[in-house]
Amino acid sequence: MSRNEIDILKRALQREKAARKAAERILEDKSRELYLTSEELKTTNLKLEELLDEKSTQLQGVFENIIDAYVVMDLKGNILKFNDPAIALFGYDIDKAPVNVLRLIYKKDYKYAMQSFKNLKKNGFFTNYSARIYTKSKAVKWVHINASLIFNKQKKPIAAQGIVRDITELKNLELQKELLLKKLEKSNDELQEYAHIVSHDLKSPLRSIDALVSWIKEDNKAHLNAASLQNFDLISNTLEKMEHLISGILNYSSIGFDSVKKEAVDLNTIVQNLNTILIVPEHITINLKTKLPIVKGFKTKLEQLFQNLIGNAIKFIDKEKGFIEIDVKETPSYYEFSIKDNGIGIDKKYHEKIFKIFNSLTKRKDSTGIGLSIVKKILDIHHGEIWLESVVGEFTTFYFTLKK
Amino acid sequence: MINTLKVLLIEDDTIEVMKLNRTISSLALKHEIIEANNGEDALKILEQKENLPHIILLDLNMPKINGIEFLSILKEDEILKHIPTIILTTSNNQKDLLECYKIGIAGYILKPLKYEAYVSKIEKLLAYWSINELIKI
Repeated sequence: MSRNEIDILKRALQREKAARKAAERILEDKSRELYLTSEELKTTNLKLEELLDEKSTQLQGVFENIIDAYVVMDLKGNILKFNDPAIALFGYDIDKAPVNVLRLIYKKDYKYAMQSFKNLKKNGFFTNYSARIYTKSKAVKWVHINASLIFNKQKKPIAAQGIVRDITELKNLELQKELLLKKLEKSNDELQEYAHIVSHDLKSPLRSIDALVSWIKEDNKAHLNAASLQNFDLISNTLEKMEHLISGILNYSSIGFDSVKKEAVDLNTIVQNLNTILIVPEHITINLKTKLPIVKGFKTKLEQLFQNLIGNAIKFIDKEKGFIEIDVKETPSYYEFSIKDNGIGIDKKYHEKIFKIFNSLTKRKDSTGIGLSIVKKILDIHHGEIWLESVVGEFTTFYFTLKK
Repeated sequence: MINTLKVLLIEDDTIEVMKLNRTISSLALKHEIIEANNGEDALKILEQKENLPHIILLDLNMPKINGIEFLSILKEDEILKHIPTIILTTSNNQKDLLECYKIGIAGYILKPLKYEAYVSKIEKLLAYWSINELIKI
């Protein structure tokens, strides 16, 4: 080996040594790094585990503490999990024997249940399912269910979970309410029918009496003296009064039994049309001070309201020149109407009493004591108020309100 | 035009029957009144097809078959359904009114309280049907 060759070998060896040293250093560095990383990983894992524990404890808590029944089932309907309320509701202990959801579905709701299950699979959830179920003891209960699918890591559905609320009581109350309403409607109808029949039966004899009296009068015209003729007139008047009374009672008892709905009513038309119903004597002028509003209400009832109030005003005007003024004031939530007349007036002590049924202040044959009680009742069903101001011998103003 | 109408009055109240008869006689009208106290009697009378009335005056409140039931039976009969039937009643019950017009009536007259008012209503009613052309059955 020449000197030259030896030198080359030595240098190569030295290079190799240096390289190995460098490699060792790198290795050392790397393993240190690796150690650190793995340590870090360990703490992270630990933290993650803790978190997982925490989450599952929370879930477990939710699962255990929820008041509603919580149910997990596989996609074939086999129940996997029941929380305590679920056990209490359905009555099954799934640890002892497997239960399939099909066994729980009420027969008549089967189709609806299947459709809902389809929706669940399609959309991943359903809400507000409300149907009947059988418990273990074959009792039927109404339940409300919100449900959703549970997916695995590959996003494939593996199970379904649902919150089941027992709404049996609620449903029963609803049914009871419906039943009661129907009953009420029926008895209202019957009452209405009854009122009609009674008024018919009461009016018939009156008609007969009137006929018989007029025949006696007719057949004995030559023999009757003035006093007798006057008595016949009194009979006639009494009959008329009786008939008014019966019609009034019928009207009064009919208010509020109508099946008609509230509608927009133009009060101007109503007041204008009153001329065709009421006979306004020539010495009385009715003055509409401003345009009346359109309100929401029962048209025939509002007609009657104005008819009774204006009719009263006409009836009790004792002056040579009579006037009736209709006015309205608007407030943000209601209209305040006033009907003023220059009639006989009403003493303050009667201001409450006149609205009570059969409390007529006069003994006229056309005063039955029902008119104002009807007015009051009509305002009651429209949630309105009525009051009056009056000076005896001078004027009466009736005020009433109607909601906007 | 028919000057002497044959009127079948279906009415259970004796005085109501008297009222119609007296009205006809006091107005000196020549109409013939056939009386039936209830729906069943009326149906018996209407069985004699050769002597059918021109018009029927029908009360609603009657025992056994009531007016509306009677009307329904009438309207189901191929021949009798053509006889104009006018309701003569105290009931201004909207339900009855609607039901009657639905089944088919030729008028709905309320019995007034006053006898004079009654006479006037009946006079107009009979005058109206006297000038009508009626189907000859």
